[in-house]
Amino acid sequence: MHKPGTLRTRLRQEGFLIVLLVPALVYFSVYHLVPMAGMVLAFQDFRIVGPSQWVGLKHFRLLFSSPSFLGVLKNTLIISSMKIILFFPLPIAFALMLNELRSVFVRKFVQATAYLPHFLSWVVIAGVWISFLSPSTGGANQARGLLGLPPVDYMTSKSAIRWVLFASETWRSLGWDSIIYLAALMRISPSLYESADMDGAGPLQKAVYITIPELAPTMITVLILNLGFFMSAGFDQVFNMMNDSVISAVDILDTYVYRIGLLNMQYSFSTAASLFKGVIGLVLILGTHTAAKKVTGKGLW
Amino acid sequence: MAGLKMKGKPSSTRDRLFRAAIALVLLAVSAVVLVPLLNLLALSLSDPARVGEVTGLTVLPKGFSTVNYRVLAANPLFVRSIVNAVLITVVGTAINLAVTSMAAFALTRSALPGRRIFMLLVIVIMVLEPGLIPEYLVVKKIGLMNSLWAVILYKTVNVYYLIILMRFFEEVPQSLIEAARVDGAGYGTIFLKIMLPLAKPALATLGLFYGVFHWNEYFRASIYLSDPDKYPLQLILRQFVVLDDTASLIGSGALFSFDEAARLDYGALKASTIIVAMIPVLIVYPLILKYYTKGVMEGGVKE
Repeated sequence: MHKPGTLRTRLRQEGFLIVLLVPALVYFSVYHLVPMAGMVLAFQDFRIVGPSQWVGLKHFRLLFSSPSFLGVLKNTLIISSMKIILFFPLPIAFALMLNELRSVFVRKFVQATAYLPHFLSWVVIAGVWISFLSPSTGGANQARGLLGLPPVDYMTSKSAIRWVLFASETWRSLGWDSIIYLAALMRISPSLYESADMDGAGPLQKAVYITIPELAPTMITVLILNLGFFMSAGFDQVFNMMNDSVISAVDILDTYVYRIGLLNMQYSFSTAASLFKGVIGLVLILGTHTAAKKVTGKGLW
Repeated sequence: MAGLKMKGKPSSTRDRLFRAAIALVLLAVSAVVLVPLLNLLALSLSDPARVGEVTGLTVLPKGFSTVNYRVLAANPLFVRSIVNAVLITVVGTAINLAVTSMAAFALTRSALPGRRIFMLLVIVIMVLEPGLIPEYLVVKKIGLMNSLWAVILYKTVNVYYLIILMRFFEEVPQSLIEAARVDGAGYGTIFLKIMLPLAKPALATLGLFYGVFHWNEYFRASIYLSDPDKYPLQLILRQFVVLDDTASLIGSGALFSFDEAARLDYGALKASTIIVAMIPVLIVYPLILKYYTKGVMEGGVKE
């Protein structure tokens, strides 16, 4: 046994810490660092045998002159805007409503049901939605029938499919994304409301002067952090909900990268699209991190 | 409309009506979540002869039959996919927890040489996303193609979970660690005997999230596995329900061994597959509610 503090013990202890870190480092290397270095493929022509050849910006020029890529970019921006900006107020409203409930039983029931879809895979959710939206047997169209409306084939309608994405995203995330606001609401001191009551403030005034300002930092943090993922638009959802009839309306960067890369085997071209997405994503994340730190004092790290 | 807190005061009729309206809206949200799920459950358990009576809004089975589930259980590919999914989930989660907690512990020790560089690395991994093709080519190069390991090891360390665990370890009182040091404990003892037991609730929560992630994963399985015998359940589900590839699921052998098979309804069979894929999530869901939501509500969210 060595006394603590001797050089040998210290080296051995430091070595032990490194050993603890090794499995994580191996994982990071295989799935992150080496593939990151592999992004140079975007500037090369991929060859199965022999070294790949440098071709400079060829694949980027092809990318930006490809009409399909520009359509994909447009879809990504539209779908992301719907899922980040249009969706944004919904969990806030949900949390505010939950906060008004007096019945513990109803509250717990609503929470338990509303959080559940967050844990279902997009494969399951797609299965549930495809079945629910079926023009012949689905619940949505039967509800329309009760109102005397004709059935709609939502999954194959180009004008409806983006709203299907928005609706199913809301179905999955409304409850779960409200948790952060619910926690913020619980931190508001009741004395604020009590003194407002004494001043004769009505519900609307209390909302405008107390609740909204108290929630504002949380709202800003959520919005800013979500903007960092603007270029992603939700691969798993789109991948499982798209079909040949609607592909032109919902094909996003990640599904495009998958299709031209792994299905059409255009490795370099696909990697160029990935790199384009990665660079914009990086700028967005660094930008939103800086913005979040400035506004709320807390960033991503 | 919000923030209507009047504790201790008798509510007026208007307030009560307002609350009742809110309760109705919220219960409608619950119904929108539950009805499509219960509808599939009802469809899967209905008597095949009466399956035509099940509408899209039915929530209780018409008659009762387990034939759909028996057809699935008789399909070797389906059973195999459950075994694969359980294997991936159990082994994957164990590796996740071991590797993440070891790294979190090491990264929170000031004695770790090069700690700043490692932290920088963690941030780089958080903000830089490698493309799909380069990752695919690396996995191919190291010989993990068509191996369950390629799927098990994907997301071995979730960087966000790593940071949560690091914050947890940082909050362990220094005096506790110093006391153990004085008693001659090395890092190994401190990690195993002090940190891990203290981190049990955090590890349980992360384990549930890692576990749900593995169970729900299908995409890496679809690109890295070529042998259908190795497919996890979610991938079979995708082929059957999303891609509508019925041949993949129903072997001819299974079809002839059931009297009711002639009357089998594909919609009902698909519904049963979806239900089976949800069951493990439903089993751990109460635990998630207990650990995570309670932790968030009582301890405040760590933004």
